Amino acid sequence: MDVVARALVAFCFIFLLTRLIGRRELSSLQPFDLILLIVMGDLVQQGVTQNDLSITGLILTIGLFGVLTLGASYVGFRFPRFRPILEPEPLILIEDGNVIERNLKKERMTQKELASEARLQQIDSLEKVKWAVLESGGQISFIPKSS
Amino acid sequence: MADPPQFLTLKGNRDRTELTELLVRRVFFGLVILVIVAGALNVFGQRPKDSFASASAADLHVFAPTALRGGLYYEGRFTIDAQREIEKAVLVLDGGWTEQTQINTIEPAPIGESSRDGRLALDFGHVPAGQKLVAWMQFQVNPTNVGRKSQDVELYDDTTLLTRVDRTVTIYP
Repeated sequence: MDVVARALVAFCFIFLLTRLIGRRELSSLQPFDLILLIVMGDLVQQGVTQNDLSITGLILTIGLFGVLTLGASYVGFRFPRFRPILEPEPLILIEDGNVIERNLKKERMTQKELASEARLQQIDSLEKVKWAVLESGGQISFIPKSS
Repeated sequence: MADPPQFLTLKGNRDRTELTELLVRRVFFGLVILVIVAGALNVFGQRPKDSFASASAADLHVFAPTALRGGLYYEGRFTIDAQREIEKAVLVLDGGWTEQTQINTIEPAPIGESSRDGRLALDFGHVPAGQKLVAWMQFQVNPTNVGRKSQDVELYDDTTLLTRVDRTVTIYP
């Protein structure tokens, strides 16, 4: 019972943390972020299973994580009202070449970072962008004016 | 003005203020910071604390943490300062020392161990007047051990109670 309760608390805490930490931080993994994620995974394991080395413990924890992930996904699908709670709505960052500063600020992003993302998609100027949308997963979609 | 991409709206995806999310984010991270600060201030252990009881026959010091977490190792140091001769110094430990806790070692090893009304009794033998007996005990908290527990320690001269230290330990999950 204890391991299930621990796994449940860990899942809820990680879910809240990743949901509230912001999508940009999670989508742009620098080497430091990657190492941090691995370390966090190790810390979570210690807190959840502690000295439990059994197959039963493994099935209970991974099974619970799977069921909760599936449950969250189903709730988002079945009840659209809850979707914004489970995953952030896409956010428009550029409209017709104009950067929406208010929305950039919301995501703690600078115009330089936005321009850098645009260059990755072969767009050399933000003025050439019709729409830029920060998607739920943290990636930025660019729709050029010419298309 | 161009229409936004399919399934997006200017109201929902451009002008949304997200005040609730901002509030939830601030409250959540505020709580996380509060927990971290509390941890740094030893609320969740395991800095040791000295508990003391004095009697005409002997003083008893217990130096051990009062807050712990599941899985932690810790030390309990018991010092008997004999004011007069103690024929048979016996430390009686409450359940909080032993229940759901590994006792890894006791140094010096007691010459006898027994149970007194369900509590662990450790016999350290003769302590001459004016001398000090220090016993170190190393423990580890079982991961499933949670809650507040009594860790009172009583010092007996055989069956005569000399003094008693009242303490409580809180074990966090």
